[in-house]
Amino acid sequence: MIVLLSAVIGILFGAGAFLMLKPDLFRVVIGMVVISNAANLTLMASGLSRGRSPIHPLPQGETVSDPLVQAMTLTAIVIGFGVTALLLSLVYRVYTSHETVDLDDLSHQEARQSEELEREEVHI
Amino acid sequence: MLAAPLAITWMAATLLVLVDGRRRWVAWAGVTALLVHLASLLVLAYDVHGGTGVEGVTGGWPQGVGIRLRADALGLVFAVLSSGVLTAALVHEALRGVRSRAFPALVLFLATGLTGLFLTADVFNFFVFFELSMIAAYVLSVYGEERKQIGGALIFAVVNLLGSFLFLIAVGAMYHVTGTLDMRAIAARFDTVEPASAIMIAVTVFVAFGVKLGLFPFHFWLPPLYTGARPAVAAILAGALANIGSYGLIRFGAGILPNELEFGALVVLLLGAASIVYGSMQALSRAAVGEVLAYSAIGQAGYILVALAVGGPVGYAAAVLYSVVNSLNKVLLFLAIGLRGWLVGAAFVVGAFSVAGVPPTAGFFAKVAMFQTGVASTHPILLVALIFVGSALSFVYMFQIYQHEYWRTEQAGPVSAPVRRALVAGLAVVVVGLGVWPEPLLELSRRAAEVLPGGRG
Repeated sequence: MIVLLSAVIGILFGAGAFLMLKPDLFRVVIGMVVISNAANLTLMASGLSRGRSPIHPLPQGETVSDPLVQAMTLTAIVIGFGVTALLLSLVYRVYTSHETVDLDDLSHQEARQSEELEREEVHI
Repeated sequence: MLAAPLAITWMAATLLVLVDGRRRWVAWAGVTALLVHLASLLVLAYDVHGGTGVEGVTGGWPQGVGIRLRADALGLVFAVLSSGVLTAALVHEALRGVRSRAFPALVLFLATGLTGLFLTADVFNFFVFFELSMIAAYVLSVYGEERKQIGGALIFAVVNLLGSFLFLIAVGAMYHVTGTLDMRAIAARFDTVEPASAIMIAVTVFVAFGVKLGLFPFHFWLPPLYTGARPAVAAILAGALANIGSYGLIRFGAGILPNELEFGALVVLLLGAASIVYGSMQALSRAAVGEVLAYSAIGQAGYILVALAVGGPVGYAAAVLYSVVNSLNKVLLFLAIGLRGWLVGAAFVVGAFSVAGVPPTAGFFAKVAMFQTGVASTHPILLVALIFVGSALSFVYMFQIYQHEYWRTEQAGPVSAPVRRALVAGLAVVVVGLGVWPEPLLELSRRAAEVLPGGRG
Protein backbone atom coordinates (compact mmCIF):
# COMPACT_ATOMS: atom_id res chain seq x y z
CA MET A 1 0.00 0.00 0.00
CA ILE A 2 2.79 2.40 0.96
CA VAL A 3 4.64 1.66 -2.29
CA LEU A 4 1.51 2.34 -4.34
CA LEU A 5 0.81 5.55 -2.40
CA SER A 6 4.35 6.83 -2.82
CA ALA A 7 4.19 6.16 -6.56
CA VAL A 8 0.90 8.05 -6.81
CA ILE A 9 2.23 10.95 -4.72
CA GLY A 10 5.38 11.09 -6.83
CA ILE A 11 3.43 11.16 -10.10
CA LEU A 12 1.00 13.79 -8.77
CA PHE A 13 3.82 16.02 -7.54
CA GLY A 14 5.68 15.66 -10.84
CA ALA A 15 2.57 16.42 -12.89
CA GLY A 16 1.83 19.45 -10.69
CA ALA A 17 5.38 20.76 -11.01
CA PHE A 18 5.21 20.27 -14.80
CA LEU A 19 1.96 22.24 -15.02
CA MET A 20 3.37 25.02 -12.84
CA LEU A 21 6.15 25.60 -15.35
CA LYS A 22 3.64 26.38 -18.13
CA PRO A 23 3.13 30.02 -19.10
CA ASP A 24 -0.67 29.69 -18.98
CA LEU A 25 -1.81 30.94 -15.55
CA PHE A 26 -4.77 28.55 -15.37
CA ARG A 27 -2.39 25.62 -15.76
CA VAL A 28 -0.25 27.08 -12.98
CA VAL A 29 -3.30 27.14 -10.69
CA ILE A 30 -4.27 23.58 -11.63
CA GLY A 31 -0.65 22.54 -10.99
CA MET A 32 -0.95 24.10 -7.53
CA VAL A 33 -4.15 22.13 -6.86
CA VAL A 34 -2.48 18.86 -7.94
CA ILE A 35 0.54 19.54 -5.70
CA SER A 36 -1.71 20.38 -2.75
CA ASN A 37 -3.42 17.02 -3.23
CA ALA A 38 -0.05 15.29 -3.35
CA ALA A 39 0.72 16.92 0.01
CA ASN A 40 -2.66 15.78 1.40
CA LEU A 41 -1.98 12.22 0.30
CA THR A 42 1.43 12.40 1.99
CA LEU A 43 -0.28 13.43 5.21
CA MET A 44 -2.69 10.49 4.94
CA ALA A 45 0.15 8.11 4.16
CA SER A 46 2.17 9.33 7.16
CA GLY A 47 -0.23 7.68 9.62
CA LEU A 48 -1.69 4.90 7.54
CA SER A 49 -2.92 2.02 9.67
CA ARG A 50 -5.58 -0.65 9.31
CA GLY A 51 -8.46 -0.71 11.79
CA ARG A 52 -12.01 0.25 12.65
CA SER A 53 -13.16 3.83 12.17
CA PRO A 54 -12.20 5.82 15.27
CA ILE A 55 -15.68 6.90 16.33
CA HIS A 56 -16.68 7.12 20.00
CA PRO A 57 -17.42 4.67 21.69
CA LEU A 58 -14.32 2.79 20.57
CA PRO A 59 -14.77 -0.95 19.97
CA GLN A 60 -13.12 -2.97 22.77
CA GLY A 61 -10.13 -5.13 21.88
CA GLU A 62 -9.94 -4.01 18.25
CA THR A 63 -7.47 -1.67 16.62
CA VAL A 64 -8.69 1.62 15.24
CA SER A 65 -7.11 3.63 12.45
CA ASP A 66 -5.22 6.84 13.29
CA PRO A 67 -7.76 9.69 13.53
CA LEU A 68 -5.14 12.42 13.72
CA VAL A 69 -3.97 12.20 10.11
CA GLN A 70 -7.57 12.28 8.93
CA ALA A 71 -8.23 15.43 10.93
CA MET A 72 -5.04 17.01 9.62
CA THR A 73 -5.83 16.12 6.02
CA LEU A 74 -9.33 17.52 6.34
CA THR A 75 -7.89 20.81 7.62
CA ALA A 76 -5.32 20.84 4.83
CA ILE A 77 -8.01 20.22 2.22
CA VAL A 78 -10.05 23.17 3.49
CA ILE A 79 -6.98 25.43 3.46
CA GLY A 80 -6.11 24.23 -0.05
CA PHE A 81 -9.64 24.99 -1.19
CA GLY A 82 -9.53 28.54 0.15
CA VAL A 83 -6.13 29.14 -1.39
CA THR A 84 -7.30 27.87 -4.79
CA ALA A 85 -10.26 30.25 -4.74
CA LEU A 86 -7.89 33.11 -3.90
CA LEU A 87 -5.46 32.17 -6.69
CA LEU A 88 -8.28 31.95 -9.24
CA SER A 89 -9.53 35.40 -8.23
CA LEU A 90 -5.98 36.76 -8.61
CA VAL A 91 -5.80 35.26 -12.11
CA TYR A 92 -9.15 36.86 -12.88
CA ARG A 93 -7.75 40.22 -11.71
CA VAL A 94 -4.83 39.74 -14.09
CA TYR A 95 -7.28 38.95 -16.89
CA THR A 96 -9.44 42.03 -16.26
CA SER A 97 -6.47 44.40 -16.14
CA HIS A 98 -4.19 42.89 -18.83
CA GLU A 99 -6.70 40.92 -20.96
CA THR A 100 -4.46 37.89 -21.03
CA VAL A 101 -3.65 34.96 -18.76
CA ASP A 102 -0.40 34.08 -20.53
CA LEU A 103 2.78 34.89 -18.62
CA ASP A 104 4.74 35.45 -21.85
CA ASP A 105 2.21 38.03 -23.07
CA LEU A 106 2.27 39.66 -19.63
CA SER A 107 6.04 40.08 -19.61
CA HIS A 108 5.92 41.41 -23.21
CA GLN A 109 3.34 43.99 -22.13
CA GLU A 110 5.41 45.01 -19.11
CA ALA A 111 8.58 45.31 -21.19
CA ARG A 112 6.73 47.48 -23.72
CA GLN A 113 5.39 49.69 -20.93
CA SER A 114 8.76 50.28 -19.33
CA GLU A 115 10.23 51.03 -22.77
CA GLU A 116 7.55 53.64 -23.32
CA LEU A 117 8.24 55.14 -19.90
CA GLU A 118 11.93 55.39 -20.70
CA ARG A 119 11.22 56.99 -24.06
CA GLU A 120 9.05 59.60 -22.36
CA GLU A 121 11.81 60.37 -19.88
CA VAL A 122 14.34 60.84 -22.68
CA HIS A 123 11.87 63.04 -24.51
CA ILE A 124 11.51 65.32 -21.50
CA MET B 1 -4.48 34.04 29.36
CA LEU B 2 -2.46 32.48 26.54
CA ALA B 3 -5.33 32.69 24.08
CA ALA B 4 -6.19 36.33 24.92
CA PRO B 5 -3.83 38.00 22.39
CA LEU B 6 -5.17 35.69 19.69
CA ALA B 7 -8.82 36.15 20.60
CA ILE B 8 -8.65 39.96 20.66
CA THR B 9 -7.39 40.43 17.10
CA TRP B 10 -9.37 37.49 15.76
CA MET B 11 -12.70 38.82 16.99
CA ALA B 12 -11.87 42.40 16.06
CA ALA B 13 -10.89 41.26 12.54
CA THR B 14 -14.11 39.31 12.10
CA LEU B 15 -16.14 42.35 13.13
CA LEU B 16 -14.13 44.85 11.07
CA VAL B 17 -14.37 42.77 7.91
CA LEU B 18 -18.11 43.44 7.91
CA VAL B 19 -17.74 47.24 7.76
CA ASP B 20 -16.19 49.46 5.13
CA GLY B 21 -12.50 49.88 6.00
CA ARG B 22 -12.24 53.13 4.05
CA ARG B 23 -14.10 54.94 6.78
CA ARG B 24 -11.81 56.71 9.17
CA TRP B 25 -13.07 55.20 12.42
CA VAL B 26 -12.69 51.62 11.16
CA ALA B 27 -8.94 51.96 10.68
CA TRP B 28 -8.59 53.58 14.11
CA ALA B 29 -10.71 50.81 15.66
CA GLY B 30 -8.23 48.38 14.09
CA VAL B 31 -5.32 50.32 15.60
CA THR B 32 -7.02 50.23 19.01
CA ALA B 33 -7.53 46.46 18.76
CA LEU B 34 -3.87 46.02 17.82
CA LEU B 35 -2.77 48.15 20.80
CA VAL B 36 -4.92 46.10 23.20
CA HIS B 37 -3.47 42.95 21.62
CA LEU B 38 0.04 44.32 22.07
CA ALA B 39 -0.71 45.12 25.73
CA SER B 40 -1.97 41.58 26.33
CA LEU B 41 1.22 40.21 24.76
CA LEU B 42 3.27 42.38 27.12
CA VAL B 43 1.28 41.09 30.12
CA LEU B 44 2.03 37.57 28.90
CA ALA B 45 5.69 38.51 28.54
CA TYR B 46 5.68 39.72 32.15
CA ASP B 47 4.33 36.30 33.24
CA VAL B 48 6.97 34.47 31.24
CA HIS B 49 9.75 36.77 32.50
CA GLY B 50 12.10 34.80 34.71
CA GLY B 51 10.41 31.44 34.13
CA THR B 52 10.70 28.92 31.33
CA GLY B 53 7.39 29.73 29.69
CA VAL B 54 3.63 29.57 30.03
CA GLU B 55 1.80 26.54 28.65
CA GLY B 56 -1.82 25.78 28.00
CA VAL B 57 -3.98 23.25 26.17
CA THR B 58 -6.74 24.65 23.98
CA GLY B 59 -10.38 23.71 24.30
CA GLY B 60 -10.05 22.17 27.79
CA TRP B 61 -8.69 18.90 26.39
CA PRO B 62 -6.49 16.71 28.58
CA GLN B 63 -2.70 17.08 28.29
CA GLY B 64 -1.38 15.19 25.24
CA VAL B 65 -4.67 15.27 23.34
CA GLY B 66 -5.45 18.93 22.72
CA ILE B 67 -3.37 21.41 20.76
CA ARG B 68 -0.77 22.99 23.01
CA LEU B 69 0.10 26.67 23.10
CA ARG B 70 3.39 27.66 24.65
CA ALA B 71 4.68 31.17 25.21
CA ASP B 72 8.43 31.33 25.74
CA ALA B 73 10.98 34.12 25.37
CA LEU B 74 11.79 33.31 21.72
CA GLY B 75 8.18 33.24 20.55
CA LEU B 76 7.23 36.34 22.53
CA VAL B 77 10.11 38.43 21.16
CA PHE B 78 8.91 37.73 17.63
CA ALA B 79 5.22 38.15 18.52
CA VAL B 80 5.73 41.57 20.15
CA LEU B 81 7.99 42.67 17.29
CA SER B 82 5.55 41.63 14.56
CA SER B 83 2.52 43.15 16.25
CA GLY B 84 4.45 46.37 16.83
CA VAL B 85 5.38 46.48 13.14
CA LEU B 86 1.79 45.87 12.08
CA THR B 87 0.57 48.63 14.40
CA ALA B 88 3.05 51.13 12.93
CA ALA B 89 2.07 50.17 9.37
CA LEU B 90 -1.65 50.41 10.08
CA VAL B 91 -1.25 53.82 11.75
CA HIS B 92 0.77 54.98 8.73
CA GLU B 93 -1.94 53.85 6.33
CA ALA B 94 -4.76 55.21 8.51
CA LEU B 95 -3.10 58.63 8.45
CA ARG B 96 -2.71 58.44 4.70
CA GLY B 97 -6.28 57.23 4.10
CA VAL B 98 -7.14 53.55 3.63
CA ARG B 99 -8.10 52.76 0.04
CA SER B 100 -9.59 49.32 0.29
CA ARG B 101 -12.55 47.92 2.19
CA ALA B 102 -10.81 45.02 3.86
CA PHE B 103 -7.39 46.50 4.67
CA PRO B 104 -7.74 47.03 8.48
CA ALA B 105 -9.37 43.60 8.93
CA LEU B 106 -6.62 41.92 6.88
CA VAL B 107 -3.90 43.49 9.02
CA LEU B 108 -5.68 42.16 12.12
CA PHE B 109 -5.98 38.69 10.57
CA LEU B 110 -2.27 38.81 9.80
CA ALA B 111 -1.58 39.76 13.44
CA THR B 112 -3.69 36.78 14.58
CA GLY B 113 -1.89 34.36 12.28
CA LEU B 114 1.58 35.60 13.23
CA THR B 115 0.89 35.61 16.98
CA GLY B 116 -0.62 32.14 16.72
CA LEU B 117 2.39 30.66 14.99
CA PHE B 118 4.83 32.28 17.39
CA LEU B 119 2.91 30.97 20.41
CA THR B 120 2.03 27.43 19.33
CA ALA B 121 3.81 24.27 20.41
CA ASP B 122 2.23 22.03 17.81
CA VAL B 123 3.72 21.69 14.33
CA PHE B 124 0.42 21.21 12.51
CA ASN B 125 -1.15 24.13 14.33
CA PHE B 126 1.93 26.10 13.27
CA PHE B 127 1.07 25.25 9.65
CA VAL B 128 -2.55 26.38 10.09
CA PHE B 129 -1.59 29.78 11.54
CA PHE B 130 1.15 30.07 8.93
CA GLU B 131 -1.45 29.64 6.17
CA LEU B 132 -3.81 32.09 7.88
CA SER B 133 -1.12 34.76 7.84
CA MET B 134 0.03 33.89 4.32
CA ILE B 135 -3.50 34.17 2.92
CA ALA B 136 -3.90 37.59 4.56
CA ALA B 137 -0.53 38.54 3.03
CA TYR B 138 -1.53 37.39 -0.47
CA VAL B 139 -4.56 39.66 -0.33
CA LEU B 140 -2.55 42.53 1.17
CA SER B 141 0.04 42.26 -1.60
CA VAL B 142 -2.48 43.44 -4.21
CA TYR B 143 -3.62 46.32 -1.99
CA GLY B 144 -3.51 49.59 -3.89
CA GLU B 145 -4.67 47.98 -7.15
CA GLU B 146 -1.75 49.11 -9.27
CA ARG B 147 -1.51 47.29 -12.56
CA LYS B 148 2.13 46.32 -12.29
CA GLN B 149 1.60 45.00 -8.77
CA ILE B 150 -0.60 42.10 -9.78
CA GLY B 151 2.09 40.18 -11.66
CA GLY B 152 4.44 40.35 -8.66
CA ALA B 153 1.65 39.38 -6.28
CA LEU B 154 0.75 36.33 -8.36
CA ILE B 155 4.35 35.07 -8.43
CA PHE B 156 4.56 35.70 -4.67
CA ALA B 157 1.41 33.66 -4.06
CA VAL B 158 2.42 30.72 -6.29
CA VAL B 159 6.00 30.43 -5.00
CA ASN B 160 5.00 30.76 -1.36
CA LEU B 161 2.17 28.26 -1.74
CA LEU B 162 4.68 25.78 -3.06
CA GLY B 163 6.76 26.51 0.06
CA SER B 164 3.71 25.96 2.28
CA PHE B 165 2.94 22.59 0.71
CA LEU B 166 6.56 21.54 1.14
CA PHE B 167 6.23 22.44 4.81
CA LEU B 168 3.00 20.41 5.01
CA ILE B 169 4.82 17.39 3.56
CA ALA B 170 7.57 17.89 6.16
CA VAL B 171 4.91 17.98 8.93
CA GLY B 172 3.52 14.68 7.64
CA ALA B 173 7.00 13.21 7.56
CA MET B 174 7.76 14.39 11.12
CA TYR B 175 4.54 12.83 12.34
CA HIS B 176 5.40 9.61 10.54
CA VAL B 177 8.86 9.22 12.07
CA THR B 178 8.06 10.42 15.60
CA GLY B 179 4.33 9.76 16.04
CA THR B 180 3.67 13.14 17.64
CA LEU B 181 3.03 16.75 16.67
CA ASP B 182 4.27 18.41 19.85
CA MET B 183 7.47 20.36 19.16
CA ARG B 184 9.27 19.32 22.35
CA ALA B 185 8.33 15.65 21.93
CA ILE B 186 9.47 15.69 18.29
CA ALA B 187 12.80 17.19 19.33
CA ALA B 188 13.24 14.52 22.03
CA ARG B 189 12.35 11.62 19.75
CA PHE B 190 14.34 12.85 16.76
CA ASP B 191 17.59 11.40 18.11
CA THR B 192 16.39 7.89 17.33
CA VAL B 193 15.25 8.67 13.78
CA GLU B 194 17.45 7.15 11.08
CA PRO B 195 19.79 9.82 9.65
CA ALA B 196 18.65 9.63 6.00
CA SER B 197 15.00 10.48 6.83
CA ALA B 198 16.05 13.08 9.38
CA ILE B 199 18.19 14.92 6.83
CA MET B 200 15.43 14.78 4.19
CA ILE B 201 12.95 16.32 6.64
CA ALA B 202 15.44 18.98 7.72
CA VAL B 203 16.15 19.96 4.10
CA THR B 204 12.43 20.22 3.29
CA VAL B 205 11.83 22.45 6.33
CA PHE B 206 14.85 24.57 5.41
CA VAL B 207 13.61 25.10 1.84
CA ALA B 208 10.10 25.95 3.06
CA PHE B 209 11.37 28.72 5.37
CA GLY B 210 14.10 29.80 2.97
CA VAL B 211 11.36 30.64 0.47
CA LYS B 212 9.53 32.71 3.11
CA LEU B 213 12.62 34.64 4.13
CA GLY B 214 13.78 35.18 0.53
CA LEU B 215 17.20 33.55 0.83
CA PHE B 216 19.53 33.55 -2.16
CA PRO B 217 18.38 30.63 -4.33
CA PHE B 218 14.68 31.15 -3.45
CA HIS B 219 14.56 34.95 -3.59
CA PHE B 220 13.25 35.64 -7.12
CA TRP B 221 9.67 36.47 -6.04
CA LEU B 222 10.79 39.17 -3.65
CA PRO B 223 12.01 42.18 -5.71
CA PRO B 224 8.92 42.55 -8.02
CA LEU B 225 6.64 42.28 -4.99
CA TYR B 226 8.39 44.92 -2.85
CA THR B 227 8.86 47.30 -5.78
CA GLY B 228 5.18 47.44 -6.67
CA ALA B 229 3.69 47.48 -3.18
CA ARG B 230 2.52 50.55 -1.23
CA PRO B 231 4.95 51.61 1.54
CA ALA B 232 2.72 50.31 4.34
CA VAL B 233 2.32 46.93 2.64
CA ALA B 234 6.04 46.66 1.86
CA ALA B 235 6.74 47.46 5.54
CA ILE B 236 4.31 44.73 6.62
CA LEU B 237 5.81 42.18 4.24
CA ALA B 238 9.44 42.97 5.08
CA GLY B 239 8.99 43.74 8.79
CA ALA B 240 6.34 41.27 9.93
CA LEU B 241 5.83 38.52 7.37
CA ALA B 242 9.55 37.83 6.84
CA ASN B 243 9.71 37.07 10.58
CA ILE B 244 7.96 33.76 9.81
CA GLY B 245 11.05 32.73 7.87
CA SER B 246 13.59 33.77 10.50
CA TYR B 247 11.51 32.45 13.42
CA GLY B 248 10.85 29.20 11.55
CA LEU B 249 14.53 28.67 10.82
CA ILE B 250 15.49 29.40 14.43
CA ARG B 251 12.68 27.35 16.01
CA PHE B 252 12.79 24.36 13.66
CA GLY B 253 16.50 24.45 12.86
CA ALA B 254 18.00 25.20 16.24
CA GLY B 255 15.06 24.13 18.43
CA ILE B 256 13.78 20.90 16.90
CA LEU B 257 16.46 19.67 14.52
CA PRO B 258 19.76 20.85 16.12
CA ASN B 259 21.75 17.77 15.07
CA GLU B 260 20.66 18.08 11.46
CA LEU B 261 21.46 21.82 11.51
CA GLU B 262 24.94 21.02 12.78
CA PHE B 263 25.35 18.37 10.08
CA GLY B 264 24.40 20.83 7.33
CA ALA B 265 26.11 23.85 8.92
CA LEU B 266 28.58 24.28 6.08
CA VAL B 267 25.84 24.38 3.41
CA VAL B 268 23.78 26.81 5.52
CA LEU B 269 26.85 28.99 6.01
CA LEU B 270 27.64 29.02 2.28
CA LEU B 271 24.05 29.88 1.36
CA GLY B 272 24.09 32.68 3.93
CA ALA B 273 27.34 34.07 2.52
CA ALA B 274 25.97 33.82 -1.02
CA SER B 275 22.84 35.70 0.09
CA ILE B 276 24.90 38.49 1.65
CA VAL B 277 27.15 38.95 -1.38
CA TYR B 278 24.43 38.53 -4.01
CA GLY B 279 21.92 40.79 -2.20
CA SER B 280 24.48 43.56 -1.65
CA MET B 281 25.82 43.47 -5.21
CA GLN B 282 22.33 43.55 -6.72
CA ALA B 283 21.28 46.36 -4.37
CA LEU B 284 24.32 48.33 -5.44
CA SER B 285 23.40 48.07 -9.11
CA ARG B 286 19.74 49.16 -8.79
CA ALA B 287 18.38 52.68 -8.88
CA ALA B 288 14.73 52.31 -7.76
CA VAL B 289 14.42 52.63 -3.97
CA GLY B 290 12.00 49.72 -3.60
CA GLU B 291 14.29 47.43 -5.55
CA VAL B 292 17.40 48.42 -3.57
CA LEU B 293 15.57 47.73 -0.28
CA ALA B 294 14.25 44.41 -1.63
CA TYR B 295 17.75 43.19 -2.54
CA SER B 296 19.01 44.57 0.75
CA ALA B 297 16.40 42.35 2.48
CA ILE B 298 17.87 39.32 0.68
CA GLY B 299 21.34 40.28 1.87
CA GLN B 300 20.22 40.89 5.45
CA ALA B 301 18.53 37.47 5.58
CA GLY B 302 21.97 36.01 4.85
CA TYR B 303 23.35 37.30 8.18
CA ILE B 304 20.63 35.46 10.11
CA LEU B 305 21.57 32.27 8.27
CA VAL B 306 25.29 32.74 8.98
CA ALA B 307 24.55 33.26 12.70
CA LEU B 308 22.40 30.10 12.74
CA ALA B 309 25.09 28.07 11.01
CA VAL B 310 27.71 29.06 13.61
CA GLY B 311 25.21 28.30 16.40
CA GLY B 312 25.91 28.05 20.11
CA PRO B 313 24.68 30.63 22.63
CA VAL B 314 26.47 33.45 20.80
CA GLY B 315 25.22 32.52 17.32
CA TYR B 316 21.57 31.94 18.30
CA ALA B 317 21.42 35.16 20.31
CA ALA B 318 22.92 37.00 17.31
CA ALA B 319 20.33 35.43 14.98
CA VAL B 320 17.46 36.63 17.19
CA LEU B 321 18.98 40.09 17.68
CA TYR B 322 19.66 40.49 13.98
CA SER B 323 16.11 39.46 13.02
CA VAL B 324 14.64 42.02 15.43
CA VAL B 325 16.89 44.90 14.34
CA ASN B 326 16.52 44.02 10.66
CA SER B 327 12.76 44.14 10.76
CA LEU B 328 12.78 47.47 12.66
CA ASN B 329 15.13 48.91 10.00
CA LYS B 330 12.97 47.71 7.15
CA VAL B 331 9.80 49.19 8.60
CA LEU B 332 11.48 52.53 9.21
CA LEU B 333 12.96 52.67 5.70
CA PHE B 334 9.86 51.52 3.82
CA LEU B 335 7.58 53.92 5.72
CA ALA B 336 10.02 56.80 5.19
CA ILE B 337 10.50 56.48 1.43
CA GLY B 338 7.06 57.79 0.44
CA LEU B 339 7.30 60.92 2.57
CA ARG B 340 8.81 64.36 2.05
CA GLY B 341 9.77 67.16 4.40
CA TRP B 342 11.64 68.00 7.56
CA LEU B 343 12.58 65.02 9.83
CA VAL B 344 11.95 62.42 7.10
CA GLY B 345 15.45 62.64 5.64
CA ALA B 346 16.94 62.37 9.12
CA ALA B 347 14.75 59.35 9.92
CA PHE B 348 15.86 57.71 6.68
CA VAL B 349 19.51 58.34 7.55
CA VAL B 350 18.97 56.66 10.94
CA GLY B 351 17.53 53.62 9.16
CA ALA B 352 20.34 53.59 6.61
CA PHE B 353 23.01 53.83 9.35
CA SER B 354 21.28 51.03 11.22
CA VAL B 355 21.38 48.78 8.13
CA ALA B 356 25.08 49.54 7.70
CA GLY B 357 25.75 49.10 11.44
CA VAL B 358 26.98 52.59 12.30
CA PRO B 359 26.70 53.67 15.98
CA PRO B 360 24.65 54.93 17.78
CA THR B 361 21.89 52.91 16.09
CA ALA B 362 20.50 49.50 17.00
CA GLY B 363 22.13 48.07 13.87
CA PHE B 364 25.56 48.66 15.43
CA PHE B 365 24.91 46.12 18.19
CA ALA B 366 23.43 43.66 15.69
CA LYS B 367 26.66 43.91 13.70
CA VAL B 368 28.76 43.59 16.88
CA ALA B 369 26.85 40.41 17.72
CA MET B 370 27.56 39.16 14.20
CA PHE B 371 31.29 39.88 14.60
CA GLN B 372 31.27 37.99 17.92
CA THR B 373 29.59 35.10 16.10
CA GLY B 374 32.25 35.24 13.41
CA VAL B 375 35.04 35.14 16.00
CA ALA B 376 33.38 32.20 17.77
CA SER B 377 33.20 30.16 14.56
CA THR B 378 35.76 27.75 13.13
CA HIS B 379 36.74 30.14 10.31
CA PRO B 380 37.01 33.45 12.18
CA ILE B 381 39.01 35.42 9.60
CA LEU B 382 36.84 34.50 6.61
CA LEU B 383 33.58 35.24 8.43
CA VAL B 384 34.72 38.54 9.92
CA ALA B 385 35.91 39.60 6.47
CA LEU B 386 32.56 38.60 4.94
CA ILE B 387 30.57 40.55 7.53
CA PHE B 388 32.83 43.55 7.13
CA VAL B 389 32.51 43.56 3.33
CA GLY B 390 28.73 43.10 3.62
CA SER B 391 28.44 46.08 5.98
CA ALA B 392 30.61 48.27 3.78
CA LEU B 393 28.54 47.42 0.70
CA SER B 394 25.30 48.14 2.56
CA PHE B 395 26.66 51.52 3.61
CA VAL B 396 27.38 52.36 -0.04
CA TYR B 397 23.99 51.34 -1.43
CA MET B 398 22.05 52.98 1.39
CA PHE B 399 23.94 56.22 0.78
CA GLN B 400 23.19 55.92 -2.94
CA ILE B 401 19.44 55.83 -2.39
CA TYR B 402 19.65 58.61 0.18
CA GLN B 403 21.38 60.77 -2.39
CA HIS B 404 18.90 59.76 -5.08
CA GLU B 405 15.82 60.38 -2.92
CA TYR B 406 16.63 63.40 -0.82
CA TRP B 407 19.35 65.39 -2.55
CA ARG B 408 18.02 65.64 -6.07
CA THR B 409 15.61 68.52 -6.10
CA GLU B 410 13.42 67.30 -8.98
CA GLN B 411 12.36 64.36 -6.78
CA ALA B 412 10.84 66.70 -4.21
CA GLY B 413 7.07 66.49 -3.95
CA PRO B 414 4.62 68.25 -1.67
CA VAL B 415 5.57 68.12 2.01
CA SER B 416 3.77 65.32 3.88
CA ALA B 417 1.47 65.88 6.84
CA PRO B 418 3.32 66.45 10.16
CA VAL B 419 1.63 63.48 11.93
CA ARG B 420 2.87 61.05 9.30
CA ARG B 421 6.36 62.45 9.60
CA ALA B 422 6.10 62.23 13.39
CA LEU B 423 5.33 58.49 13.14
CA VAL B 424 8.47 57.86 11.07
CA ALA B 425 10.51 60.07 13.39
CA GLY B 426 9.15 58.06 16.34
CA LEU B 427 10.35 54.84 14.72
CA ALA B 428 13.76 56.43 14.16
CA VAL B 429 13.88 57.39 17.84
CA VAL B 430 13.19 53.75 18.75
CA VAL B 431 16.05 52.57 16.52
CA VAL B 432 18.45 55.14 18.01
CA GLY B 433 17.13 54.49 21.54
CA LEU B 434 17.88 50.77 21.22
CA GLY B 435 21.37 51.74 20.04
CA VAL B 436 22.00 54.07 22.97
CA TRP B 437 20.59 51.71 25.59
CA PRO B 438 20.92 48.23 24.08
CA GLU B 439 20.97 46.25 27.34
CA PRO B 440 17.27 45.17 27.33
CA LEU B 441 17.46 44.01 23.71
CA LEU B 442 20.71 42.09 24.27
CA GLU B 443 19.26 40.49 27.41
CA LEU B 444 16.10 39.54 25.52
CA SER B 445 17.99 37.88 22.70
CA ARG B 446 20.12 35.99 25.24
CA ARG B 447 16.94 34.80 26.98
CA ALA B 448 15.42 33.80 23.64
CA ALA B 449 18.54 31.79 22.73
CA GLU B 450 18.38 30.01 26.11
CA VAL B 451 15.08 28.47 25.04
CA LEU B 452 16.93 26.50 22.36
CA PRO B 453 18.76 23.29 23.33
CA GLY B 454 22.12 24.47 21.95
CA GLY B 455 21.70 28.03 23.18
CA ARG B 456 22.47 27.62 26.88
CA GLY B 457 25.89 28.95 27.64
